[in-house]
Amino acid sequence: MPLVGNLRDFALHDFLYLVDRGYKTGSLMLNRPSTDDAAHLYFDKGKLLSVVRPQRRERLGELLIRLGKVSPQQLAQALQTQQMNNARPLGQILVEHGVIGQRDLQFCIQQQIEETVYELFAWRDGEFKFQAGQKPAPDDVQSLVPLPVENLIMEGVRRVDEMSRIKERIPNNDMIVRFVDRPQEKAANINMTADEWRIFARINGRSSINEIADKIGLTPYAVSHIVFGFITAGLVEVTRPTGGQSSKAPVAAQAQRVGSTPTRRSAAEPAYVEPPKKSLVARLINRIRGL
Amino acid sequence: MQTVKMVISGAVNAGKTEFIRSISEIEVVSTERKATDETRLLKKETTVAMDFGRITIANDLVLHLFGTPGQRRFDFMWEILSEGALGLVVVVDSTRPETFRETTRIVEFFNEMRPAPYIIAANKQDKDTAWSPDELRLALRLPEQVKVVPCIATQRDSCKNVLLELLYEIMETAKEG
Repeated sequence: MPLVGNLRDFALHDFLYLVDRGYKTGSLMLNRPSTDDAAHLYFDKGKLLSVVRPQRRERLGELLIRLGKVSPQQLAQALQTQQMNNARPLGQILVEHGVIGQRDLQFCIQQQIEETVYELFAWRDGEFKFQAGQKPAPDDVQSLVPLPVENLIMEGVRRVDEMSRIKERIPNNDMIVRFVDRPQEKAANINMTADEWRIFARINGRSSINEIADKIGLTPYAVSHIVFGFITAGLVEVTRPTGGQSSKAPVAAQAQRVGSTPTRRSAAEPAYVEPPKKSLVARLINRIRGL
Repeated sequence: MQTVKMVISGAVNAGKTEFIRSISEIEVVSTERKATDETRLLKKETTVAMDFGRITIANDLVLHLFGTPGQRRFDFMWEILSEGALGLVVVVDSTRPETFRETTRIVEFFNEMRPAPYIIAANKQDKDTAWSPDELRLALRLPEQVKVVPCIATQRDSCKNVLLELLYEIMETAKEG
């Protein structure tokens, strides 16, 4: 007999607690008709194995390409090997080929699963159905080691609390980040971490939170968290995209095709830089002369 | 509001921070220096020595100046910073020949990664032990067409002149319009 209900009455953290304490194996199907969204979580003896978002399903190979851990060529080779040895998991083949280390592979998978679950904590409503015994599909991204849910609950609840504060300043991740015209005095002498600088250097008044996250390989949550700090410091502000600035689909949605995701360009391939217009340079020269 | 970007690079302690401080209308962000403590750089929390300044060109146009981290560990930032940059100033401490090799590496790195107009700012030309721009050109093995401009990074007029020389270079390759 499946367990059914609504997240409005029985929140995700309540259900994870139940799964943990009940040592349950099976799938938790979440459906949110209001946003036409869904998620499937798979558990093994109270621990989380996999999370699938059907609208933006991402296979392991696509995930690793998106994170820059494997190249499309390496993936193609591993998939070829897998076809010849049907029973072996792709991750195992990539490790055996020396393309990625076992720990690195687990880290990537675990981070992907955890970030997806944290997004689900923001769902205030949605139907759920838990069916015992259900297992993920073989090509779904699965953790090599089932993940304890206690930490997920604690971090998820903390993020929901934090996100509610962030959302007051950054309503969604399609918001465009730009420098303020006149930084406030408190913006002086700020020390930044490497990740903060990476984001800071990407701010151009055209890129959204999602686009910045995509470019530097951080999660939209991590970027919005840091941008929130910049806003608080009076360095930047966010604006809604205008007609010319297209909002971008969530990161995972861009990796639908193997090889479609931009990977880090090697130093051997210089980027084409379009020269500026003479009128622009002339304006700069005139201003600098007048300083 | 349109923003354009220039990158100020150079070896550790070449004078990048002074350069940006001298010319920027407002010092927005300047990180603390930990260049001598290599072990601390390995830690995730270590702050990155990098600078950011700005010059308002007009109501609708702002020039941002990004100073790159000098440490090799942060080479990955150079690529990000140089994306979309109009040009590059490579500051070199003319009194410290031990940094010339690193300066050459920086020039080559940027050239390979993102060919854009660049010039060399021969800093500390007010010091007795400073190598002259001509000597620096030879030491850095720079092609004839690359400008080596004398500079004193603590003086606004000197930095202004460097930026102007870079802008003249940029103008050479700018498109009509």
